[in-house]
Order: sequence, then structure tokens, then C-alpha cells
Amino acid sequence: MLEIIAIEKKFDNKKVLDNINFIVNKGEFFGLLGSNGAGKTTMIKLISTLLLPSDGKILLDGKEITRNNVQIKKKITTVTQEYTLRGDMDVDEIMEYQGRLYQMPREQRKKDSKNLLEFCGLMEHRKKRVRELSGGMKRKLMLCRALLPKPELVLLDEPTVGLDPFSRRQIWDLISGLNQQGMTFILTTHYMEEAQMLCQRIALIDQGQLLEIAPPQELINQLGNIAINVVTPVGIQQKYFKNRERALAYAKNLSDPFTLRETNLEDVFIKRLGKGLD
Amino acid sequence: MAILTVLWEKWIEFKHEWQKITVTAMISPILYLLTFGLGLGMDKMVDDHTYMAFLIPGIIALTTMNASFNAIGMSLNVQRLYEKSFDNVLASPTPLGQYIIGQMVGGSLRGMYAGSLILGITFIFGAPIQVNLLFFLVMLLNGMAFSALGVMAAIVSKTHADISRFSTFVILPMTFICNTFFPVANMPPLLKGAVQILPLTHSSGLLRQISYGEPASLTSFCILIVYTIFFMVIALIKINKSKNL
Repeated sequence: MLEIIAIEKKFDNKKVLDNINFIVNKGEFFGLLGSNGAGKTTMIKLISTLLLPSDGKILLDGKEITRNNVQIKKKITTVTQEYTLRGDMDVDEIMEYQGRLYQMPREQRKKDSKNLLEFCGLMEHRKKRVRELSGGMKRKLMLCRALLPKPELVLLDEPTVGLDPFSRRQIWDLISGLNQQGMTFILTTHYMEEAQMLCQRIALIDQGQLLEIAPPQELINQLGNIAINVVTPVGIQQKYFKNRERALAYAKNLSDPFTLRETNLEDVFIKRLGKGLD
Repeated sequence: MAILTVLWEKWIEFKHEWQKITVTAMISPILYLLTFGLGLGMDKMVDDHTYMAFLIPGIIALTTMNASFNAIGMSLNVQRLYEKSFDNVLASPTPLGQYIIGQMVGGSLRGMYAGSLILGITFIFGAPIQVNLLFFLVMLLNGMAFSALGVMAAIVSKTHADISRFSTFVILPMTFICNTFFPVANMPPLLKGAVQILPLTHSSGLLRQISYGEPASLTSFCILIVYTIFFMVIALIKINKSKNL
């Protein structure tokens, strides 16, 4: 179980996270949603010890995560938002390096590495240097690298940015399968469909403040399950309703064209965080 | 063991770039040998030895210093600020002390490689110096000290330019004034005092003593060890405590 306790983070006296508290249960798929600059990446970096908190602490299985707590760090891997790969290494070497950093036995790191690279379609590129890979391949390689040591907790900071729809679904299959086997994931993403499909609970963060934690469907229910998009001369406006009957009753009196659809997490994002996707 | 992982990583780096590394390591020392040794000091004597016998240990010392510092300082700086691949190391369960020691050993081996190349070249041309196991041990220690300085500089730097500035303000002056091209005794008293506390002065002096067949200074050994530990501890504290690395 991951416990975030009263976390505060300042950069040059500017508070970017303020008194953040939440718990992620073992085996959970947990989402962190917020607009750019909300503090999601900072939160991921704090859990992975790339940054240290100004105040508060982070516990995994009751033990504080610090840069020197090697036993705890063995249980966590991260897929960062930026590429964090050695440009001079080839794909095999990147995986080998990760296996060594996580002290995996030789045979296991070879076998698991091969399986992951095969699944992600990187096997034929295994002798290519990182600098020769496309953005999508690098992204997949970062995920393979993070999954190699079979960690208990994987931190995914926008892991599917730049991937084509097929690759994205391939990645979703992989991580949701691992989640069902008990691996815990924390995900930040700007793809609301991804968050809605994968996450069991979602934390909404805005300007360093935690607004709410709830399952995606509950957040949608709070807004209303049915949405009507009304095309007005000043733009498209959304209206939300508890059910289809109420929505249709409202639509009867509309003179502007409209469409009726199910509410989704993107609606929640826009409504709750007061701005569109970046 | 994390030290072996870092050595593996340094080996991969070397394996991919060995031609460039080799050529780069040899250019400056060969130019120094040609300019100062053959050009300016062919007929000079220093402390009853030929200038060439004086010069070669100094050049070996500065070569190991430059190769070790660059192998770690430049590479780690790129990994931390440009590639960000250092983030993956920092997030991994690698004991940071072992990581730094691994970098120091790896950098030191690169320094020894460069130093040995120059030594080999000077021997081909009949270098008038003696070399024994202690000579290589001093090269290793010198490399350790400057690799540790490289780790420290790479961690403290906030931009790529910082590491180049560090090189310009710290490494370059040492190259020329620390008992490498001329004896420290020839310097003005105030500058002599300052130069005598710098690490390269001692590694240069030690290599020269060994190459002349004289007893090596224990004080110089101790000074190099103190510098190595000092740079290593600063780097370790910085990596451990820095809130925004």
C-alpha cells in the first residue's frame, strides 16, 4: 500500500503541491488527472525520489521511500514523461542495464527482456541504438524497461504519448493484464479514454491541490450520465442530465442543432478543472 | 553489486566509442610532447635530468586527469541534464555510494588507458624514464581523484555550459601550472603555495619521483587520497540531499 502523507513541494518558495494526502491500495490502478502544471509529474517524481518533498512523507508498505531505501526502491519503477534513455546504448543494452540496476539474475533478465521486447514488437530492433529509434519505439522501450524487474508499483507519467492507436491499445492490454495479476499502477495521462478504461480510482489535482478522489464512473455520475452538445452561434455548449428522459425533455425545446451522448471523463475534466485539455 | 553495473555501463560506453575515445585522448598529449618536449626543451636539463624525462611524467599525470575527468564529468552531465537517463539510475535501487565509486573506478580506468597510450608512445621513441607497478598505482589514484571531481562537477552543474566552465577554470589551469611543464620551485612564492596544495601537483610529482627511481612521497599519496575522499563525499551528499536534482 502506498501512502502519501501531507506532501508539500516548493520550487523557489513557490508551492506546487500543497498538503496532498491519499492512499493507493495494493493491486489498484490509480489515476492522477489535472491540467498541465497541476502537479501530477511532480507527484510522480516525488514517489520515485527524483525529487524530495519540502514537507510530508511517502510510505510504501509502511516504510518511507527515500533515495537510500534500496529495498523499497526495488519495488518501484517509473516511466517518465520525458525520454530517459541512454542514446549510445542499443535496445538490448538498455534492458540489460535495467536488469543489472535492479539486481536481477542473468538468466531471468535475458528471458524476461526477450518476452517484453517481443510483446512490444521491439525484437527486430534490439540491436538498434536508442538514437536510431522512433519516438513511439522509445516510449515502448521505456515501458518494457519499467516492467522488466516485475515491480510491485509502476509509475506511469503519460506513458502512451506519441504512440499510434494500435500501439496504445497494445500497451493498455499489457498493463491491464499485469494489473489483474496484482501489479499496482499510478497513471497520469491527458487521454481521458485511457484513464476511464484503466483506472479504478482517479484523483483530480488542480494547481497543486487535491480536489477529489473517486472511481471514474462516480465522477461521471456526479456530473450526469447524459450530455447534450448544443451547437449555438457562440460555440458548442454542454448540458448534463441524470438520465436520458430528462435530457430528451430538455432537447425538445431546443431550436439549435444538438447531439445527445453519454457523459465521459473528459466532460468531468473540463467541468471540474475549468479548462480544456492542453 | 552496483559498482560492477556501473563498470559494465562504462565498458559499453567505451565499446561503442573506443576509436573516438582513443584519438581524443592522444591528441593533446602528443601536441604537448612535440611542442614542449621536442620543440622548446630538447636541449634543456631540469634537476640533473633531461627535460624530456621531466616532462613525460607530467604529461602522463595531466592525461590521466583529463581523461578521467572528461569520462565522468562530461558523460554524467549529459546523462543528467540532456538525456535524463540519470533519472532512471536515481529511481533504481542502486546504492548511491556504490554508484559514485563505480564511476570513479570506471573513470580512473579510462584515465589509465589514456595515460598508458601516451606512455607507450614515449617508450617507442625511447623515453628516458623508469616505470613500475607503483607508477600505474599513482595513475589509478590520480584518475580516482579526478573522476570523483567529475562526479561532483556533473552533479553540481545546472547547465551543460557549467561543466565546460568548470573545465576552463579548474582543469585547464592545473594542466599548465601543476608541476607538469616546469618545476613548481620556479614559481613566485605566493603562487607556489597555492599550486602545492592542488592534487595534480602531487600526482605529477609522484610519477616523476618514481620515473627518476627516487622514493615516492607518502605525503603526496595521502593528499591524493584526501582529495579523492573529499570529492566523493561532496558528490554523495549532493546526490543524497538535493531536493531538486
